[in-house]
Amino acid sequence: MAMESQHVADVLNGFKLNWMNLRDASSGKIMWEGTQDLSVPGREHQARVPKKILKCKAVSREINFSSQQLMEKFRLEQRILFHGRCLEEWFFEFGFVIPESTNTWQSIIEAAPASQMMGADVLSGNVVIETNFFDDELLVSTSKVRLFYV
Amino acid sequence: MGLLSILRKLRSDHHKELRILLLGLDNAGKTTILKSLASEKIDQITPTQGFNVKCVNTPGFKLNVWDIGGQRRIRPYWRNYFENTDLLIYVIDSTDQKRFEETGVELRELLEDEKLSGVPLLIFANKQDLFNAAKASDIANLLKLHTLNGRTWQIQACSALKGEGVQDGIEWVMKTAGAKAKKK
Ligand SMILES: Nc1nc2c(ncn2[C@@H]2O[C@H](COP(=O)(O)OP(=O)(O)OP(=O)(O)O)[C@@H](O)[C@H]2O)c(=O)[nH]1
Ligand SMILES: [Mg+2]
Repeated sequence: MAMESQHVADVLNGFKLNWMNLRDASSGKIMWEGTQDLSVPGREHQARVPKKILKCKAVSREINFSSQQLMEKFRLEQRILFHGRCLEEWFFEFGFVIPESTNTWQSIIEAAPASQMMGADVLSGNVVIETNFFDDELLVSTSKVRLFYV
Repeated sequence: MGLLSILRKLRSDHHKELRILLLGLDNAGKTTILKSLASEKIDQITPTQGFNVKCVNTPGFKLNVWDIGGQRRIRPYWRNYFENTDLLIYVIDSTDQKRFEETGVELRELLEDEKLSGVPLLIFANKQDLFNAAKASDIANLLKLHTLNGRTWQIQACSALKGEGVQDGIEWVMKTAGAKAKKK
């Protein structure tokens, strides 16, 4: 038991979210990039994104993370929340994570019709990208980024 | 974007999911190929110390491309990513004559693995923009690709830097993998 909790502590301490960005997926151009440690617990980050991103046919969300420890069943859940309500939900299974590795996950999505129908002024400040990282059932890290369309 | 437009063409009645694995020695140009396919800037790419996964989601079709680092330290972990692979892309630096043998050995090992048996193979003979690049046909001979039994394969000359040949290779990939894509 002691060993197990030591392992959990090692996984958590050895995990870091390095950066995150949003791109116009048609041009590959970065529209917002956050490089603070996005995984500082309990802190919600703010992103000021050009409102023209709402007109993009497809957007990309990319996250870079490092892990000191080997993980076997790594996965993430990403939710796009509007006023706390889930608009979109994505699940991804990475499986194996190499010890002492740095990795990126990029998800390219055709813009949801719902968000295209709402104006920037309606959405701005009310949309949160929440990403939870798990090793099997263990919550390894969480990041919350609130979007402001400017 | 290249990938999205190819996927749009492939859209079908079935829900399909494709998993493509991108391997090759360090410095071969795997990450550059992946980023150039998405029209992203390729001037600040550093050696991959793990993996890069790109997931492209269109209605009715999902594509996951796994680019794994090729450094010696990382190669022993490649096998953790073989499962459920629909297509293998192997990238070779066509100017790195000194390591043709090494890359051949790594490729053989991949092809002998049970989890990759029968998985179609695309080889990118990359960096064709450089004067000392070996021809794709010479690399095919060196790797004895004609001796591969029971496997669909193709070698494609390309320059990820100039964006030449990459799209052709990917079209072959989508055609080949699309034909045998598993239903979700
Ligand atoms: N001249 C030329 N250089 C290229 C080409 N493709 C990639 N390169 C360069 O080769 C170097 C390695 O490219 P990467 O994409 O990082 O190679 P990689 O296969 O991902 O390497 P690892 O991540 O270490 O496995 C970079 O400096 C690239 O700019 C090409 O077509 N022509
Ligand atoms: Mg790389």
